[in-house]
Amino acid sequence: MFILDDLLLRPFVGIIDALHSIALDELYDMEALEDDLKENQLLYELGERSDEEYRRRKEELEAELETAREVHERLSSGRVEVKR
Amino acid sequence: MSNRYVYGVVEGDTVEFETEAVAGADRVYTISHRRLGAVVSDIDTTDPEETDEDAQRHDEVLREIMDDDGGTTVVPMQFGMAFESDRELKNVLRGARPAFRRAMNDIDGTVELGLKLVSEADADIDREAIEAAAADRFEPIADQSVTNDLFSDRLVLNRSYLVAEDERETFDEAVADFEADHDDVIVQYTGPFAPYSFVDVKIGAQQ
Repeated sequence: MFILDDLLLRPFVGIIDALHSIALDELYDMEALEDDLKENQLLYELGERSDEEYRRRKEELEAELETAREVHERLSSGRVEVKR
Repeated sequence: MSNRYVYGVVEGDTVEFETEAVAGADRVYTISHRRLGAVVSDIDTTDPEETDEDAQRHDEVLREIMDDDGGTTVVPMQFGMAFESDRELKNVLRGARPAFRRAMNDIDGTVELGLKLVSEADADIDREAIEAAAADRFEPIADQSVTNDLFSDRLVLNRSYLVAEDERETFDEAVADFEADHDDVIVQYTGPFAPYSFVDVKIGAQQ
């Protein structure tokens, strides 16, 4: 629906751009990553995640979040163009 | 180490003790302007990095301030408030005086308690019924409460409660009863904390 709406409303936006933009949003969804970090912490505190697993996951998520931040900064500075 | 890292603001009292403070400092003390005092430690930056360790120290120092001298009311600051100089900090205390006084009134003699209700993995639960049961049990005891982010699908409830010191035991018992009555959720009960979630004073020279 989203793609369809987008295309109907803005015929100039190519499907590749729309898909690209959705992919970027999903790949670099900072809010979701922050939630995952908090969930990792919670499950560790509840004893459902081992120390090792907690640390590994935390490092992974923090690295992903850092990348996401950089991408969003570039997006907002206009160095990566996404048309919507 | 000429900059000052702020934990919170107290009124009328002077707080000073040795402790493990933020960024490796070992002492906290008070910088006062008239009756308001900012509880600080020395730091060599005005933009401290929020590590897990330092975030925890910030919380623990606030808890120590709350326990200081048989109980001190402190308006807590969020992590990361650091000032260039004593003068700058005193200016902030002067400027935000009415806001501090109001916050002080709101939280005097209270603590913040945190409650998370988490469903067991893969459990099929009636979320609404659990939320309603929690509201019935806890809201009458608390002065105020706020909802926090439900950051996991397994979280059924994530709230902070502002509870009068002398209702603490009642609240503890209510949580224990609730836990005994609900096998299908895991209860995570935390605190007491300085009432961060119930004060809205933002200070800072950098902002």
